[in-house]
Amino acid sequence: MDQSSTSALLQGAVRDLATGVASALASGGHDPVGGDTTVTVGTGSHTLAAVRVLGADLLLPHVLFGTPVDPDTAALFRKAVDAYPPRADAAPTVVWSHWAMARTLRRLDPGPLAGESGAEPDAGWLHDAPWQVLTHQLAVLAPLALPDEDHAVARAARRRPVDVARGFVRAVRRRDWVQAAGAGRWLTLLDGVPDTLGLEAGLVFTELMGGGDPRVALQVGAARRVRAGALV
Amino acid sequence: MPSIEETLEEVTEIQNAEIEAVLNPLECDGVFRDSRRCAALALQCGTGQTLLSPPTPRPKKA
Repeated sequence: MDQSSTSALLQGAVRDLATGVASALASGGHDPVGGDTTVTVGTGSHTLAAVRVLGADLLLPHVLFGTPVDPDTAALFRKAVDAYPPRADAAPTVVWSHWAMARTLRRLDPGPLAGESGAEPDAGWLHDAPWQVLTHQLAVLAPLALPDEDHAVARAARRRPVDVARGFVRAVRRRDWVQAAGAGRWLTLLDGVPDTLGLEAGLVFTELMGGGDPRVALQVGAARRVRAGALV
Repeated sequence: MPSIEETLEEVTEIQNAEIEAVLNPLECDGVFRDSRRCAALALQCGTGQTLLSPPTPRPKKA
């Protein structure tokens, strides 16, 4: 199987997972059958890799609504954390993504993690990043955007709310809906966001234009839940 | 012939490289179209705030 078709399969698996998470967020934990916010995870060949790519957001409904994680999903999540540690030369976003997964696992399914010290990675690359780069990187690390989090990436975002707001508008103008949605999720957590931004309207617009992409629906849904104070 | 373990290790390494590429994406190229439609949709969102005002028109060629 060539690399392009492998990438397409992986992206497809990620979108499937994102669809489940977006649906669980939209249901608000009030599923009429069992009140369950568990995302149905398939068993395809790229499922484990897709779990690693979606990262901490796979368990976001459980984080926001305080619902228990079913053992099979927790085991798969843990397996993804163990199977795909960042390589030695990994980019900061890769390292932080893995850290976020390990942190979520400690929160929801405490247990030993091989090779995980829990220490925060370095976030120096964000400190003097141009606002365009800052916003793009924050959007990639949107799974870290949770209320009351105090880690280096969140602190970098809190220091520059106007820059993130500018980046949000830029993403919308460029029709980069995934970046806009991720930036919008961060903006719901930040103080000092200009009122003139019209964040709520911007999120609605982003969802209208990009909601066919489940990753966009996931981030916009997360932003709405965070604004509504869903965190338990 | 490589062992099953070697093959699995190679597959995992390839997947890890692919995963890391997805988790460290380059910013996609911007697509600027239909600024008027964008602005109209923004206004329809209900607040009337012009988040997406159209760009300054290009000067017409003489």
